[in-house]
Amino acid sequence: MAAVNLNTIRATVEGRLATELALAPPVPVVFHNQPYTPTPGSSWVQCLVSFGGNNYLTMGGTTGSSNSVIGVVVCNIYTAKGNGPGANYTISKRIRDLYNRVIVSGVHFDPPTGPEVVAAPAPEGYFQTQVRMTFETFEDL
Amino acid sequence: MAFYRGQQGSVKFDDAGTTAATIASTRSWSLSVEKESLDTTALGATYRANVGGLISGSGTVEVLYTASSSDETNAFIEMVNSANDEGAALFELYLDTSGTKKITFDGVITSAEYGATVGELQVITINFVTNGAITLDI
Repeated sequence: MAAVNLNTIRATVEGRLATELALAPPVPVVFHNQPYTPTPGSSWVQCLVSFGGNNYLTMGGTTGSSNSVIGVVVCNIYTAKGNGPGANYTISKRIRDLYNRVIVSGVHFDPPTGPEVVAAPAPEGYFQTQVRMTFETFEDL
Repeated sequence: MAFYRGQQGSVKFDDAGTTAATIASTRSWSLSVEKESLDTTALGATYRANVGGLISGSGTVEVLYTASSSDETNAFIEMVNSANDEGAALFELYLDTSGTKKITFDGVITSAEYGATVGELQVITINFVTNGAITLDI
């Protein structure tokens, strides 16, 4: 094994979401560092994958050892303002079910947090909720 | 002055007592070496006198469960369940990654604690006692 490839993990996380939200009814999804101009009143999702703390798992040096790599997936779900939360929660459930306690390609997802309503949506003009999933993967050196 | 951190350590083991192999996914080890003291205080003495007696050791190794099979790691975590243990298993506890600072002894695995806790990695805790001489190359 080798040092963990962060883009492989990112692709695992993002690819899973892109595939799901491409199914009917499709919902546009945008990821980190991508330009996107939403259509007013439409539904869309912003998915942000970030890596956090890494920890020693086992003894050893730069070979024959393992580390824990922790990360978080933050999904901002935007739906039309003034129509209640139903449409938003429908999308949130699709996202939540996609990661809830799932182990895929060596990435272990924890139970999701949310959807939490965001009091001050950014950008404005939408009803926004947020679903967050922490995950852990293991790096074998 | 050299300092060492815990991750520089490692554990090697051989249930047959010949050539020790690295135990995979070792998280920690500890060894306590104890020497009995024998009271040799003379009758009427003011101060107590002692001499050293028998030396023994006991310790613990924590291993993350990785489902390894047909290797020394597997032998290590299952050896507590073996019959007719003559105490010939070879232990090597290393303090540095270069592999020159080590404690060597034969021993008996006396207990193993297996468990699973939701949200945590599965850890197996192995306890052992030494059998015979303990060699400190530290």
